[in-house]
Amino acid sequence: MTIVRKIVPYLIAIIASFAAAGIFIGLTGANVFQAYQTILITSFRTPNGFVQTLLKFIPLTLQALAFTIPLTAGKFNMGGEGQMIVGAIAASAAGILGADLPAFLLLPLVILAGVVAGALWGFIPAWLLYKFNINEILTSMLLNFVSFQLIDLVATGAWRDPVAGHPTTIQIGAGGFLPMLIKNPPLNAGLLLALLVAAGVYIYTSRTAGGYELVATGANPRAASVFGINVKRMFVFSIVLAGGIAGLSGVIEVAGVQHRLIVGLQHNFLVLGVIIALISKGNNLAVPFVAFFIAILEVGASAMQRTMNVPVEMVFIVEALVLLFVLLSDVVRRR
Amino acid sequence: MEKEAILELRNIRKVFDKTVALDSVSFSLYPGEIHGLLGGNGAGKTTLMNILYGLYRKDEGEITLHGKKLNIQGPKDAINHKIGMVHQHFLQIGNYTVLENIVLGTDVAHPGSMNLSAEANKLVELGKRFSLPVDPDAVVDTLPVGTRQKLEILKALYRGVEVLILDEPTTNLTPQEVDDLFESLRVIVNEGRSIVFITHKLREVLRVCDRITVLREGRNITSLTRAEASEEIFVRAMVGDQMKIEGSVYFSHAALANTAVDEKATPALEMKNVGLKTKEGISKLSNINFQIKQGEIFGVAGVAGNGQRELAECATGVVIPSEGTILMHGKDVTSLPVNELLKDGIAYIPEDRLHDGFLPKANVAQNLILGYHRQKPYCEGNLIKWNVVHDKVRGYISEYNIKTNGPEDPGGNLSGGNIQRVMIARAFSMDARLMVAHNPTRGLDIPSMDFVYNKMLDHKKTGSSTLLISEDLDELLLICDRIAVLYRGQILGFLDRKDFDKYAIGRLMSGIRAEETADMRAAP
Repeated sequence: MTIVRKIVPYLIAIIASFAAAGIFIGLTGANVFQAYQTILITSFRTPNGFVQTLLKFIPLTLQALAFTIPLTAGKFNMGGEGQMIVGAIAASAAGILGADLPAFLLLPLVILAGVVAGALWGFIPAWLLYKFNINEILTSMLLNFVSFQLIDLVATGAWRDPVAGHPTTIQIGAGGFLPMLIKNPPLNAGLLLALLVAAGVYIYTSRTAGGYELVATGANPRAASVFGINVKRMFVFSIVLAGGIAGLSGVIEVAGVQHRLIVGLQHNFLVLGVIIALISKGNNLAVPFVAFFIAILEVGASAMQRTMNVPVEMVFIVEALVLLFVLLSDVVRRR
Repeated sequence: MEKEAILELRNIRKVFDKTVALDSVSFSLYPGEIHGLLGGNGAGKTTLMNILYGLYRKDEGEITLHGKKLNIQGPKDAINHKIGMVHQHFLQIGNYTVLENIVLGTDVAHPGSMNLSAEANKLVELGKRFSLPVDPDAVVDTLPVGTRQKLEILKALYRGVEVLILDEPTTNLTPQEVDDLFESLRVIVNEGRSIVFITHKLREVLRVCDRITVLREGRNITSLTRAEASEEIFVRAMVGDQMKIEGSVYFSHAALANTAVDEKATPALEMKNVGLKTKEGISKLSNINFQIKQGEIFGVAGVAGNGQRELAECATGVVIPSEGTILMHGKDVTSLPVNELLKDGIAYIPEDRLHDGFLPKANVAQNLILGYHRQKPYCEGNLIKWNVVHDKVRGYISEYNIKTNGPEDPGGNLSGGNIQRVMIARAFSMDARLMVAHNPTRGLDIPSMDFVYNKMLDHKKTGSSTLLISEDLDELLLICDRIAVLYRGQILGFLDRKDFDKYAIGRLMSGIRAEETADMRAAP
């Protein structure tokens, strides 16, 4: 009963946003029904479409979690993209430098390097917040721009792949590749990592004492500190953990999908991650499901652009509207 | 009784969301009377008067003044009809002078030059007439609470009100100030004005009011003249039939048994020369010395803002004192943080429940384990056992009469009184050896207050100690073994239960170190 009551506003929001976005698609002169059919069915029509969807689902889930974990403690991590890029850089560096190492050494090294680098990138705004009380929204966001320059530097530097037409490094050692779950279409084991992380985050926040402290800190930091919770440490911890998870999403892009560092690997993951986190209303259990839904839209949107010449940005409108309507349903219910 | 009522409220109804705050309440006011509006928390007293003053709109009912129907849209209308209200929280501009606060919003004789000598004269004259002396040129921030209240009453009188509503006017006054206030009120009504006196304190109402109306749960219960009724009738009217008055602490007249203090055992809490300064170097506490014996309820009296909050936070480890030592059961805990102390067996009911004690975005169960979430039986290893927590919480909800849909109900759905019940249930849930309670019964109705007092006395019987910091002097006199009086961050004196005297405490509360209390000061 309660679950139904929670899901109904989402369904209404989705239908309403599809209807509203349909107007815009109609205005471009395209067939609205055919467009929506493409968006919704592409993911399920072919094995390739489904794998594409899962490959989107991995970074989206991790990026959204990198936003919801600090949000649980009442902080905003706007640096998920930067943490992902730095994680990807560190993973590539480990993969290239240790190219000759056997897989049982190199793969853990690649993963660890990426996660640690992402966590360190998150530690910078966390430390500034802890020490000087500098707003973490600003610092984490600005560090994204630093990471953009950093990836340019690495991808055009000593490890540059001269034959690629795009700023790209050479391949990492084969021992650093994530194992494949399916060979064709290619699906890597990053999916398992993402699901594991999502489950772990959910169990941590809902079952453990530490997770309880995180929730209490977000609910009222003053009361939490009066009752013995070190809230500043919770702030730091939550942002660092988020950085590590965002770093992992960078690792999976490098070690699982591309096997090299490519400039632009972050796509729009930060914005989409924030949208997923907010549609989930910060609920860690809801994140993977919402992320999967958004992944369907994203994959469908590319197909729609290819087959019908409707720009992918249309799907952005749908996603933004879903968020708006979900937020609106909160306001309506409060009345 | 033959007089014509000047003001009548008939069948007033007001609904907030789904709660009926007032259900067909009627109220009448005669010229020249002090009319007590009595009731526990949430009875609807303030809501009714806020409707009269135009702060809320009524849903049904009518208001007549001098027989004419009245349509009040806001406080401005009310003042135009010579109705004035003094709120529990004063609406004053701190860095203005008394006179500037008085004339604010009125027409002055010389608006160009702001020469206010005529207004100043009028104010001084009013002050003399009603024995409410104030210095027109004093800056409001520098005045004590008692004087600020006088200012608030003068503000209404200056505007020529005929009906004056006072909402819990004695909350922060010393007993002497209460006496003075009551004398002034008598002068005010002798000139033909009428006063509505909102309070939950039965004894005050019996002292000063001519007529008394009792509200309970948004309904009229009774309306009687002072002469017609006994205290018992009002007690019964205030609390209803569910509560056993015989077993009640709140209404007990006899001195409570006061023997369970273990004088020889190591004190539960000892403060030696404790002082606290803010970052800016302003002293908040200085030279605090006292011991709380095992099984003792140690009270701290004082007008709000004299260092009570700082004292509570030093005792619980929320802040570390800048000087001195704190011993808890003989162990030096001066620099231990609050989580260590919670583990060691303290409980804390903070004064500011919304900011310091409650998680509005978390559910009831999460709120009830805050601070104890790493202790058994709630937590084992690092995992919180939510099924155990929820079972316990269901027990607390029924024992403490918390009105909620269950352990997973969001905290934000609770009303103020229910939030306070959560604070109390949490504090008593762990059998703490030392409880620090700051205004623990604020916002509770009488049966709940009684429940808390009984809990505290039970707690005392087990040999546990309590530091009870309260602005409600009656509460302290009722259940404490010893009372210390805090004034500007210092303890001015201690009184043993046999020496309890409202007026002696009142003098200390206003900073007068009286000779006869000086020799009572116990050496720490």
